[in-house]
Amino acid sequence: MTAPGIHTEEFQVNMGPHHPSTHGVCRFILTMDGEVIIKAEPVIGYLHRALEKICENRTYQQCIPVLDRFEYCTSMSCNEAFALAAEKLGGLEVPERAEYLRVIMLELNRIASHLIWFGTTSLDLGAITPFLYGFREREDILDLFEMTCGQRLTYNYIRVGGVAKDIPPEFIPKCKEFLDKFDAKVDDYERVLTENPIFIVRNKDIGVLTPEMAIAYAVSGPSLRASGVKFDLRKDDPYSIYDRFNFNIPVTHNGDCYDRYLIRIAEMRESARIVRQAIEQIPEGEIAAKVSMNYKPPEGEVYSRIENSRGEMGVYIQSPGKEKKPLRVKLRGGSYNQLQVMPELVKGHKIADVVAIMASLDIILPEVDR
Amino acid sequence: MDRDELIKHLLEKFPEKIELLETGRAEPFFLLKNKDDLVAFCESIKTDENLDIDYLCNIGAVDTGERFEVVYDVASVKKHIRFDFKLRFEYEGAEIDSVQKVWPAANWYEREMWELYGINIRDHGNLKRFLLPDDWDQGHPMRKNWDAPDFVRMPEVE
Repeated sequence: MTAPGIHTEEFQVNMGPHHPSTHGVCRFILTMDGEVIIKAEPVIGYLHRALEKICENRTYQQCIPVLDRFEYCTSMSCNEAFALAAEKLGGLEVPERAEYLRVIMLELNRIASHLIWFGTTSLDLGAITPFLYGFREREDILDLFEMTCGQRLTYNYIRVGGVAKDIPPEFIPKCKEFLDKFDAKVDDYERVLTENPIFIVRNKDIGVLTPEMAIAYAVSGPSLRASGVKFDLRKDDPYSIYDRFNFNIPVTHNGDCYDRYLIRIAEMRESARIVRQAIEQIPEGEIAAKVSMNYKPPEGEVYSRIENSRGEMGVYIQSPGKEKKPLRVKLRGGSYNQLQVMPELVKGHKIADVVAIMASLDIILPEVDR
Repeated sequence: MDRDELIKHLLEKFPEKIELLETGRAEPFFLLKNKDDLVAFCESIKTDENLDIDYLCNIGAVDTGERFEVVYDVASVKKHIRFDFKLRFEYEGAEIDSVQKVWPAANWYEREMWELYGINIRDHGNLKRFLLPDDWDQGHPMRKNWDAPDFVRMPEVE
Protein backbone atom coordinates (compact mmCIF):
# COMPACT_ATOMS: atom_id res chain seq x y z
CA MET A 1 0.00 0.00 0.00
CA THR A 2 1.73 3.19 -1.13
CA ALA A 3 0.59 6.75 -1.48
CA PRO A 4 0.20 7.91 -5.12
CA GLY A 5 3.28 9.43 -6.65
CA ILE A 6 5.76 7.63 -4.40
CA HIS A 7 8.22 5.42 -6.20
CA THR A 8 8.72 1.95 -4.61
CA GLU A 9 10.88 -0.97 -5.56
CA GLU A 10 11.77 -4.45 -4.25
CA PHE A 11 14.98 -4.85 -2.33
CA GLN A 12 16.99 -7.68 -0.86
CA VAL A 13 17.88 -8.29 2.76
CA ASN A 14 20.54 -10.71 3.87
CA MET A 15 19.67 -12.60 7.02
CA GLY A 16 22.49 -14.54 8.62
CA PRO A 17 24.64 -16.56 8.45
CA HIS A 18 25.84 -15.43 11.86
CA HIS A 19 22.50 -14.79 13.46
CA PRO A 20 21.64 -16.56 16.71
CA SER A 21 18.14 -17.50 15.62
CA THR A 22 19.29 -19.46 12.58
CA HIS A 23 20.19 -22.45 14.82
CA GLY A 24 23.59 -23.06 13.39
CA VAL A 25 24.71 -21.12 10.38
CA CYS A 26 22.16 -20.57 7.66
CA ARG A 27 21.73 -17.54 5.46
CA PHE A 28 18.50 -16.32 3.95
CA ILE A 29 18.33 -13.99 0.98
CA LEU A 30 14.98 -12.27 1.45
CA THR A 31 13.35 -10.27 -1.32
CA MET A 32 11.19 -7.64 0.33
CA ASP A 33 8.34 -5.44 -0.76
CA GLY A 34 8.40 -2.87 2.02
CA GLU A 35 8.08 -4.95 5.17
CA VAL A 36 6.62 -8.01 3.47
CA ILE A 37 8.69 -10.95 2.25
CA ILE A 38 7.90 -11.97 -1.30
CA LYS A 39 10.69 -14.48 -1.83
CA ALA A 40 13.16 -16.27 0.40
CA GLU A 41 16.15 -18.31 -0.61
CA PRO A 42 18.06 -20.37 1.95
CA VAL A 43 21.82 -20.60 1.43
CA ILE A 44 23.35 -23.57 3.22
CA GLY A 45 26.63 -25.46 3.35
CA TYR A 46 28.40 -23.52 6.10
CA LEU A 47 28.43 -26.64 8.28
CA HIS A 48 29.20 -29.15 5.56
CA ARG A 49 31.72 -31.66 6.95
CA ALA A 50 31.45 -34.37 4.28
CA LEU A 51 30.24 -36.94 6.81
CA GLU A 52 29.08 -39.27 4.04
CA LYS A 53 32.52 -39.28 2.42
CA ILE A 54 34.18 -39.84 5.79
CA CYS A 55 31.92 -42.84 6.48
CA GLU A 56 33.06 -44.48 3.25
CA ASN A 57 36.54 -44.64 4.76
CA ARG A 58 35.53 -46.13 8.13
CA THR A 59 34.51 -49.56 9.38
CA TYR A 60 30.92 -49.89 10.54
CA GLN A 61 31.76 -49.42 14.24
CA GLN A 62 34.02 -46.49 13.41
CA CYS A 63 31.13 -44.81 11.58
CA ILE A 64 29.08 -44.50 14.78
CA PRO A 65 31.11 -41.63 16.34
CA VAL A 66 31.03 -39.86 12.96
CA LEU A 67 27.24 -40.19 12.94
CA ASP A 68 27.15 -38.54 16.40
CA ARG A 69 28.07 -35.30 14.65
CA PHE A 70 25.26 -35.62 12.11
CA GLU A 71 22.53 -34.28 14.37
CA TYR A 72 24.17 -33.47 17.65
CA CYS A 73 21.02 -32.56 19.56
CA THR A 74 19.91 -36.19 19.36
CA SER A 75 23.10 -38.18 18.88
CA MET A 76 21.39 -41.30 20.21
CA SER A 77 18.98 -41.32 17.26
CA CYS A 78 21.83 -41.01 14.78
CA ASN A 79 23.56 -43.98 16.41
CA GLU A 80 20.31 -45.95 16.37
CA ALA A 81 19.48 -45.18 12.74
CA PHE A 82 22.90 -46.31 11.57
CA ALA A 83 23.02 -49.36 13.86
CA LEU A 84 19.56 -50.47 12.69
CA ALA A 85 20.58 -50.25 9.05
CA ALA A 86 23.83 -52.11 9.62
CA GLU A 87 22.04 -54.81 11.62
CA LYS A 88 19.43 -55.27 8.89
CA LEU A 89 22.23 -55.72 6.36
CA GLY A 90 23.86 -58.52 8.33
CA GLY A 91 20.67 -59.96 9.85
CA LEU A 92 21.93 -59.37 13.40
CA GLU A 93 19.72 -60.00 16.41
CA VAL A 94 19.92 -57.45 19.21
CA PRO A 95 19.54 -58.78 22.79
CA GLU A 96 16.35 -57.90 24.62
CA ARG A 97 17.99 -55.80 27.30
CA ALA A 98 19.85 -53.76 24.70
CA GLU A 99 16.58 -52.95 22.93
CA TYR A 100 15.12 -51.61 26.18
CA LEU A 101 18.25 -49.60 26.94
CA ARG A 102 18.07 -48.13 23.44
CA VAL A 103 14.45 -47.09 23.83
CA ILE A 104 15.13 -45.50 27.23
CA MET A 105 18.06 -43.51 25.79
CA LEU A 106 16.23 -42.55 22.60
CA GLU A 107 13.22 -41.21 24.44
CA LEU A 108 15.29 -39.36 27.04
CA ASN A 109 17.22 -37.87 24.16
CA ARG A 110 13.99 -36.85 22.44
CA ILE A 111 12.95 -35.01 25.60
CA ALA A 112 16.37 -33.34 25.82
CA SER A 113 16.12 -32.25 22.19
CA HIS A 114 12.61 -30.87 22.64
CA LEU A 115 13.86 -28.98 25.70
CA ILE A 116 16.52 -27.30 23.55
CA TRP A 117 13.80 -26.43 21.06
CA PHE A 118 11.60 -25.11 23.87
CA GLY A 119 14.36 -22.94 25.26
CA THR A 120 15.66 -21.53 21.98
CA THR A 121 12.21 -20.95 20.51
CA SER A 122 11.17 -18.78 23.40
CA LEU A 123 14.56 -17.06 23.38
CA ASP A 124 14.07 -16.25 19.69
CA LEU A 125 10.69 -14.73 20.53
CA GLY A 126 12.09 -12.65 23.35
CA ALA A 127 11.35 -14.73 26.46
CA ILE A 128 14.36 -15.69 28.55
CA THR A 129 12.82 -17.63 31.47
CA PRO A 130 11.76 -20.71 29.42
CA PHE A 131 15.32 -21.03 28.14
CA LEU A 132 16.59 -21.37 31.70
CA TYR A 133 13.78 -23.78 32.60
CA GLY A 134 14.42 -25.99 29.59
CA PHE A 135 18.15 -26.21 30.08
CA ARG A 136 17.68 -26.94 33.80
CA GLU A 137 15.74 -30.16 33.08
CA ARG A 138 17.98 -31.05 30.15
CA GLU A 139 20.89 -31.01 32.58
CA ASP A 140 19.30 -33.86 34.56
CA ILE A 141 19.01 -35.94 31.39
CA LEU A 142 22.61 -35.19 30.43
CA ASP A 143 23.70 -36.34 33.90
CA LEU A 144 21.94 -39.65 33.26
CA PHE A 145 23.75 -40.00 29.92
CA GLU A 146 27.05 -39.05 31.48
CA MET A 147 26.80 -41.70 34.18
CA THR A 148 26.00 -44.30 31.50
CA CYS A 149 28.48 -43.57 28.74
CA GLY A 150 30.66 -40.73 30.01
CA GLN A 151 29.53 -38.25 27.37
CA ARG A 152 27.15 -35.33 27.43
CA LEU A 153 26.65 -34.53 23.76
CA THR A 154 28.17 -37.10 21.39
CA TYR A 155 27.40 -40.37 23.08
CA ASN A 156 28.72 -43.15 20.81
CA TYR A 157 26.51 -45.37 22.95
CA ILE A 158 24.27 -47.37 20.62
CA ARG A 159 26.55 -49.66 18.62
CA VAL A 160 26.02 -52.16 15.85
CA GLY A 161 24.63 -55.22 17.65
CA GLY A 162 23.66 -53.59 20.95
CA VAL A 163 24.87 -50.85 23.26
CA ALA A 164 28.33 -49.96 24.53
CA LYS A 165 27.82 -50.28 28.30
CA ASP A 166 25.22 -51.36 30.78
CA ILE A 167 23.60 -48.70 32.95
CA PRO A 168 25.08 -48.23 36.43
CA PRO A 169 22.92 -49.28 39.45
CA GLU A 170 22.11 -45.65 40.38
CA PHE A 171 20.68 -44.94 36.92
CA ILE A 172 17.16 -46.28 37.49
CA PRO A 173 16.47 -44.47 40.82
CA LYS A 174 17.82 -41.22 39.33
CA CYS A 175 15.75 -41.65 36.20
CA LYS A 176 12.59 -42.35 38.22
CA GLU A 177 13.28 -39.25 40.29
CA PHE A 178 13.51 -37.23 37.10
CA LEU A 179 10.32 -38.70 35.62
CA ASP A 180 8.39 -38.07 38.84
CA LYS A 181 9.07 -34.36 38.74
CA PHE A 182 9.05 -33.94 34.97
CA ASP A 183 5.30 -33.78 34.37
CA ALA A 184 4.98 -30.96 36.88
CA LYS A 185 7.82 -29.16 35.12
CA VAL A 186 6.04 -29.42 31.77
CA ASP A 187 2.99 -27.89 33.48
CA ASP A 188 5.29 -25.05 34.50
CA TYR A 189 6.44 -24.58 30.91
CA GLU A 190 2.88 -24.44 29.73
CA ARG A 191 1.99 -21.91 32.42
CA VAL A 192 4.69 -19.60 31.10
CA LEU A 193 3.91 -19.84 27.38
CA THR A 194 0.71 -21.62 26.32
CA GLU A 195 -1.66 -18.79 27.19
CA ASN A 196 0.84 -15.99 27.05
CA PRO A 197 -0.75 -13.27 24.84
CA ILE A 198 2.55 -12.14 23.30
CA PHE A 199 3.52 -15.73 22.47
CA ILE A 200 0.10 -16.36 20.90
CA VAL A 201 0.22 -13.23 18.75
CA ARG A 202 3.69 -14.17 17.51
CA ASN A 203 2.66 -17.76 16.66
CA LYS A 204 -1.03 -18.11 15.80
CA ASP A 205 -1.69 -18.31 12.04
CA ILE A 206 1.98 -17.75 11.26
CA GLY A 207 3.65 -20.07 8.75
CA VAL A 208 0.66 -22.29 8.01
CA LEU A 209 1.73 -25.62 6.49
CA THR A 210 -1.10 -27.46 4.77
CA PRO A 211 -1.13 -31.27 4.95
CA GLU A 212 -0.84 -31.54 1.14
CA MET A 213 2.23 -29.32 1.05
CA ALA A 214 3.76 -31.10 4.02
CA ILE A 215 3.52 -34.50 2.33
CA ALA A 216 4.65 -33.18 -1.06
CA TYR A 217 7.80 -31.73 0.51
CA ALA A 218 8.28 -34.86 2.66
CA VAL A 219 8.04 -32.91 5.91
CA SER A 220 7.97 -35.35 8.81
CA GLY A 221 7.82 -35.56 12.56
CA PRO A 222 6.06 -33.03 14.79
CA SER A 223 5.81 -30.50 11.94
CA LEU A 224 3.80 -33.00 9.87
CA ARG A 225 1.56 -33.99 12.77
CA ALA A 226 0.82 -30.33 13.52
CA SER A 227 -0.76 -30.18 10.04
CA GLY A 228 -3.25 -32.91 10.93
CA VAL A 229 -1.48 -35.93 9.44
CA LYS A 230 -1.27 -38.68 12.03
CA PHE A 231 1.97 -40.31 11.00
CA ASP A 232 4.64 -41.43 13.40
CA LEU A 233 7.15 -44.09 12.42
CA ARG A 234 7.12 -45.49 15.95
CA LYS A 235 3.53 -46.60 15.27
CA ASP A 236 3.24 -46.67 11.48
CA ASP A 237 6.48 -48.40 10.53
CA PRO A 238 7.52 -49.81 13.90
CA TYR A 239 11.17 -50.50 14.57
CA SER A 240 12.97 -51.78 17.65
CA ILE A 241 10.38 -52.64 20.36
CA TYR A 242 8.08 -49.62 20.16
CA ASP A 243 5.07 -51.87 19.58
CA ARG A 244 5.27 -52.97 23.24
CA PHE A 245 4.56 -49.57 24.76
CA ASN A 246 1.41 -47.60 25.32
CA PHE A 247 1.65 -44.04 24.09
CA ASN A 248 -0.39 -41.56 22.10
CA ILE A 249 0.52 -39.68 18.94
CA PRO A 250 -0.57 -36.07 19.47
CA VAL A 251 -2.10 -34.43 16.39
CA THR A 252 -3.32 -30.87 15.81
CA HIS A 253 -4.92 -29.44 12.71
CA ASN A 254 -4.00 -25.81 12.04
CA GLY A 255 -0.43 -26.35 10.90
CA ASP A 256 0.75 -22.99 12.25
CA CYS A 257 3.64 -22.22 14.59
CA TYR A 258 1.42 -22.38 17.65
CA ASP A 259 0.23 -25.92 16.81
CA ARG A 260 3.77 -27.09 16.29
CA TYR A 261 4.51 -25.76 19.78
CA LEU A 262 1.57 -27.69 21.28
CA ILE A 263 2.63 -30.93 19.58
CA ARG A 264 6.15 -30.85 20.94
CA ILE A 265 4.98 -30.08 24.46
CA ALA A 266 2.57 -33.03 24.30
CA GLU A 267 5.30 -35.26 22.88
CA MET A 268 7.57 -34.65 25.84
CA ARG A 269 4.89 -36.04 28.14
CA GLU A 270 4.41 -39.09 25.90
CA SER A 271 8.14 -39.78 25.76
CA ALA A 272 8.28 -39.67 29.55
CA ARG A 273 5.48 -42.28 29.59
CA ILE A 274 7.49 -44.57 27.32
CA VAL A 275 10.61 -44.27 29.47
CA ARG A 276 8.58 -45.09 32.58
CA GLN A 277 7.16 -48.26 30.98
CA ALA A 278 10.56 -49.31 29.65
CA ILE A 279 12.14 -48.95 33.08
CA GLU A 280 9.47 -51.16 34.60
CA GLN A 281 9.73 -53.87 31.94
CA ILE A 282 13.49 -53.99 31.37
CA PRO A 283 14.83 -57.57 31.67
CA GLU A 284 18.27 -58.72 32.77
CA GLY A 285 20.65 -60.18 30.23
CA GLU A 286 23.24 -59.46 27.58
CA ILE A 287 23.67 -55.90 26.30
CA ALA A 288 25.24 -56.62 22.93
CA ALA A 289 25.40 -59.34 20.33
CA LYS A 290 28.87 -60.60 19.51
CA VAL A 291 29.99 -58.45 16.61
CA SER A 292 33.53 -58.36 15.31
CA MET A 293 35.26 -54.98 15.15
CA ASN A 294 35.69 -55.83 11.47
CA TYR A 295 32.00 -56.47 10.93
CA LYS A 296 31.53 -57.54 7.30
CA PRO A 297 27.87 -57.68 6.27
CA PRO A 298 26.97 -59.57 3.07
CA GLU A 299 26.44 -57.74 -0.21
CA GLY A 300 23.28 -55.69 -0.20
CA GLU A 301 21.71 -52.36 0.48
CA VAL A 302 19.21 -51.02 2.94
CA TYR A 303 17.39 -47.80 3.78
CA SER A 304 16.22 -47.77 7.35
CA ARG A 305 14.33 -44.95 9.00
CA ILE A 306 13.45 -43.98 12.54
CA GLU A 307 11.36 -41.26 14.16
CA ASN A 308 13.68 -38.60 15.45
CA SER A 309 12.65 -35.48 17.35
CA ARG A 310 12.89 -33.56 14.04
CA GLY A 311 11.14 -36.13 11.90
CA GLU A 312 12.24 -39.03 9.80
CA MET A 313 15.91 -39.84 10.13
CA GLY A 314 17.04 -42.31 7.52
CA VAL A 315 20.31 -44.00 6.75
CA TYR A 316 21.00 -45.73 3.46
CA ILE A 317 23.93 -48.14 3.42
CA GLN A 318 25.24 -50.09 0.49
CA SER A 319 27.63 -52.89 1.35
CA PRO A 320 29.85 -54.32 -1.40
CA GLY A 321 30.03 -57.65 0.45
CA LYS A 322 33.07 -59.16 2.24
CA GLU A 323 34.33 -55.65 2.96
CA LYS A 324 34.60 -54.00 6.34
CA LYS A 325 33.82 -50.55 4.97
CA PRO A 326 30.51 -49.49 3.47
CA LEU A 327 30.49 -48.55 -0.21
CA ARG A 328 28.08 -45.70 0.39
CA VAL A 329 26.33 -44.12 3.36
CA LYS A 330 23.58 -41.59 2.69
CA LEU A 331 22.08 -39.64 5.54
CA ARG A 332 18.64 -38.12 5.53
CA GLY A 333 17.46 -35.78 8.25
CA GLY A 334 14.13 -34.17 8.96
CA SER A 335 15.51 -30.62 8.98
CA TYR A 336 16.56 -30.91 5.32
CA ASN A 337 12.97 -31.09 4.13
CA GLN A 338 11.67 -28.65 6.72
CA LEU A 339 14.18 -26.05 5.50
CA GLN A 340 13.28 -26.79 1.89
CA VAL A 341 9.61 -25.96 2.49
CA MET A 342 10.38 -22.82 4.51
CA PRO A 343 10.48 -20.37 1.56
CA GLU A 344 6.84 -21.31 0.90
CA LEU A 345 5.87 -20.66 4.51
CA VAL A 346 7.48 -17.25 4.96
CA LYS A 347 5.90 -15.68 1.87
CA GLY A 348 3.69 -12.76 2.88
CA HIS A 349 5.06 -12.57 6.41
CA LYS A 350 7.49 -10.10 7.99
CA ILE A 351 11.13 -10.65 8.88
CA ALA A 352 10.37 -11.23 12.56
CA ASP A 353 8.12 -14.13 11.54
CA VAL A 354 11.01 -15.88 9.75
CA VAL A 355 12.55 -16.31 13.18
CA ALA A 356 9.32 -17.72 14.62
CA ILE A 357 8.78 -20.10 11.70
CA MET A 358 12.34 -21.37 11.70
CA ALA A 359 12.16 -21.95 15.45
CA SER A 360 8.83 -23.76 15.26
CA LEU A 361 10.01 -26.11 12.51
CA ASP A 362 12.95 -26.94 14.81
CA ILE A 363 15.54 -26.84 12.05
CA ILE A 364 19.15 -27.38 12.99
CA LEU A 365 21.78 -26.91 10.36
CA PRO A 366 24.32 -29.68 11.01
CA GLU A 367 21.58 -32.09 9.99
CA VAL A 368 20.97 -30.18 6.76
CA ASP A 369 24.60 -29.72 5.73
CA ARG A 370 26.01 -33.02 7.00
CA MET B 1 -0.62 -54.54 1.33
CA ASP B 2 2.18 -56.78 2.61
CA ARG B 3 5.57 -57.37 1.08
CA ASP B 4 4.62 -60.23 -1.26
CA GLU B 5 1.48 -58.55 -2.53
CA LEU B 6 3.43 -55.38 -3.20
CA ILE B 7 6.10 -57.24 -5.18
CA LYS B 8 3.45 -59.11 -7.18
CA HIS B 9 1.49 -55.94 -7.88
CA LEU B 10 4.52 -53.98 -9.10
CA LEU B 11 5.93 -56.82 -11.23
CA GLU B 12 2.54 -57.34 -12.88
CA LYS B 13 2.03 -53.68 -13.51
CA PHE B 14 5.48 -53.03 -15.00
CA PRO B 15 6.51 -56.45 -16.36
CA GLU B 16 9.20 -55.30 -18.80
CA LYS B 17 10.40 -52.25 -16.98
CA ILE B 18 11.45 -53.36 -13.52
CA GLU B 19 13.10 -56.34 -11.94
CA LEU B 20 13.32 -57.41 -8.29
CA LEU B 21 16.74 -57.27 -6.68
CA GLU B 22 16.68 -59.74 -3.82
CA THR B 23 18.49 -58.28 -0.86
CA GLY B 24 16.65 -60.32 1.75
CA ARG B 25 15.28 -57.47 3.81
CA ALA B 26 11.83 -56.30 4.85
CA GLU B 27 11.39 -53.69 2.11
CA PRO B 28 11.59 -54.81 -1.53
CA PHE B 29 14.25 -53.29 -3.78
CA PHE B 30 13.66 -52.90 -7.53
CA LEU B 31 15.82 -52.02 -10.50
CA LEU B 32 14.30 -49.73 -13.09
CA LYS B 33 15.99 -51.00 -16.23
CA ASN B 34 15.77 -47.91 -18.43
CA LYS B 35 16.46 -44.53 -16.89
CA ASP B 36 14.30 -42.78 -19.49
CA ASP B 37 11.23 -44.45 -17.94
CA LEU B 38 11.85 -42.70 -14.64
CA VAL B 39 9.26 -39.91 -14.68
CA ALA B 40 6.53 -42.10 -16.19
CA PHE B 41 7.20 -44.79 -13.58
CA CYS B 42 7.10 -42.30 -10.70
CA GLU B 43 3.89 -40.76 -11.98
CA SER B 44 2.16 -44.08 -12.28
CA ILE B 45 3.11 -45.30 -8.80
CA LYS B 46 1.89 -42.00 -7.40
CA THR B 47 -1.47 -42.10 -9.16
CA ASP B 48 -2.06 -45.85 -8.70
CA GLU B 49 -4.80 -46.02 -6.08
CA ASN B 50 -3.49 -49.26 -4.60
CA LEU B 51 -0.07 -47.75 -4.01
CA ASP B 52 -0.58 -44.01 -3.58
CA ILE B 53 3.15 -43.32 -3.25
CA ASP B 54 2.97 -39.70 -2.12
CA TYR B 55 6.07 -39.42 0.02
CA LEU B 56 9.67 -39.29 -1.18
CA CYS B 57 11.90 -40.31 1.72
CA ASN B 58 15.27 -39.90 0.12
CA ILE B 59 17.28 -39.88 -3.10
CA GLY B 60 20.89 -40.94 -3.00
CA ALA B 61 23.45 -41.39 -5.73
CA VAL B 62 26.06 -44.13 -5.45
CA ASP B 63 29.38 -44.41 -7.26
CA THR B 64 30.12 -48.14 -7.26
CA GLY B 65 33.54 -47.69 -8.85
CA GLU B 66 32.22 -49.03 -12.17
CA ARG B 67 29.04 -47.06 -12.77
CA PHE B 68 26.54 -44.76 -11.13
CA GLU B 69 23.43 -45.83 -9.30
CA VAL B 70 20.65 -43.55 -8.10
CA VAL B 71 18.45 -44.91 -5.32
CA TYR B 72 14.93 -43.63 -4.66
CA ASP B 73 13.38 -44.52 -1.31
CA VAL B 74 9.64 -43.91 -1.51
CA ALA B 75 6.68 -44.43 0.78
CA SER B 76 2.97 -43.91 1.11
CA VAL B 77 1.74 -42.04 4.17
CA LYS B 78 -1.86 -43.20 3.75
CA LYS B 79 -1.29 -46.82 2.73
CA HIS B 80 1.79 -47.54 4.87
CA ILE B 81 3.80 -48.89 1.96
CA ARG B 82 7.53 -48.47 1.54
CA PHE B 83 9.91 -49.72 -1.10
CA ASP B 84 13.00 -48.63 -2.97
CA PHE B 85 14.01 -48.62 -6.59
CA LYS B 86 17.15 -47.66 -8.38
CA LEU B 87 18.67 -46.77 -11.71
CA ARG B 88 22.01 -47.92 -13.10
CA PHE B 89 23.93 -46.04 -15.75
CA GLU B 90 27.45 -45.43 -17.02
CA TYR B 91 29.71 -42.47 -16.19
CA GLU B 92 29.62 -41.39 -19.81
CA GLY B 93 26.75 -38.94 -20.36
CA ALA B 94 25.40 -39.32 -16.82
CA GLU B 95 22.06 -37.56 -17.02
CA ILE B 96 18.61 -38.28 -15.59
CA ASP B 97 15.24 -36.56 -15.53
CA SER B 98 14.04 -34.54 -12.58
CA VAL B 99 11.15 -36.01 -10.58
CA GLN B 100 10.20 -32.66 -9.02
CA LYS B 101 6.91 -32.64 -10.90
CA VAL B 102 5.90 -35.78 -9.03
CA TRP B 103 7.45 -35.03 -5.63
CA PRO B 104 8.57 -31.40 -5.06
CA ALA B 105 10.86 -32.65 -2.26
CA ALA B 106 13.21 -34.00 -4.96
CA ASN B 107 14.56 -30.52 -5.73
CA TRP B 108 17.32 -30.38 -3.13
CA TYR B 109 18.24 -34.05 -3.38
CA GLU B 110 18.81 -33.65 -7.11
CA ARG B 111 20.72 -30.42 -6.68
CA GLU B 112 23.01 -32.17 -4.22
CA MET B 113 23.49 -35.10 -6.60
CA TRP B 114 24.40 -32.75 -9.43
CA GLU B 115 26.96 -30.97 -7.30
CA LEU B 116 28.62 -33.85 -5.49
CA TYR B 117 28.51 -36.51 -8.24
CA GLY B 118 28.29 -34.52 -11.46
CA ILE B 119 25.11 -36.25 -12.60
CA ASN B 120 23.21 -33.83 -14.80
CA ILE B 121 19.50 -33.36 -14.05
CA ARG B 122 17.22 -32.49 -16.98
CA ASP B 123 14.45 -29.92 -16.36
CA HIS B 124 15.66 -29.07 -12.87
CA GLY B 125 15.73 -25.28 -13.11
CA ASN B 126 17.78 -24.59 -10.00
CA LEU B 127 21.18 -26.22 -10.50
CA LYS B 128 23.35 -23.91 -8.43
CA ARG B 129 26.15 -24.52 -5.92
CA PHE B 130 24.63 -25.98 -2.81
CA LEU B 131 26.82 -27.54 -0.11
CA LEU B 132 30.21 -26.57 -1.52
CA PRO B 133 31.70 -23.04 -1.62
CA ASP B 134 30.54 -20.78 -4.48
CA ASP B 135 34.02 -20.71 -6.05
CA TRP B 136 34.59 -24.49 -5.87
CA ASP B 137 36.51 -25.76 -8.90
CA GLN B 138 37.91 -29.12 -7.79
CA GLY B 139 35.44 -31.51 -9.36
CA HIS B 140 32.85 -33.75 -7.78
CA PRO B 141 34.05 -34.86 -4.34
CA MET B 142 31.72 -37.82 -3.77
CA ARG B 143 33.07 -39.72 -6.77
CA LYS B 144 35.25 -42.67 -5.84
CA ASN B 145 38.22 -41.41 -7.84
CA TRP B 146 38.30 -38.11 -5.96
CA ASP B 147 40.69 -37.79 -3.03
CA ALA B 148 41.30 -34.63 -1.07
CA PRO B 149 45.01 -33.76 -0.83
CA ASP B 150 44.83 -33.54 2.99
CA PHE B 151 42.62 -36.59 3.47
CA VAL B 152 43.87 -38.66 6.42
CA ARG B 153 43.20 -42.37 6.14
CA MET B 154 42.16 -44.14 9.35
CA PRO B 155 44.59 -46.85 10.47
CA GLU B 156 43.40 -50.38 9.73
CA VAL B 157 41.73 -52.20 12.64
CA GLU B 158 43.05 -55.66 13.38
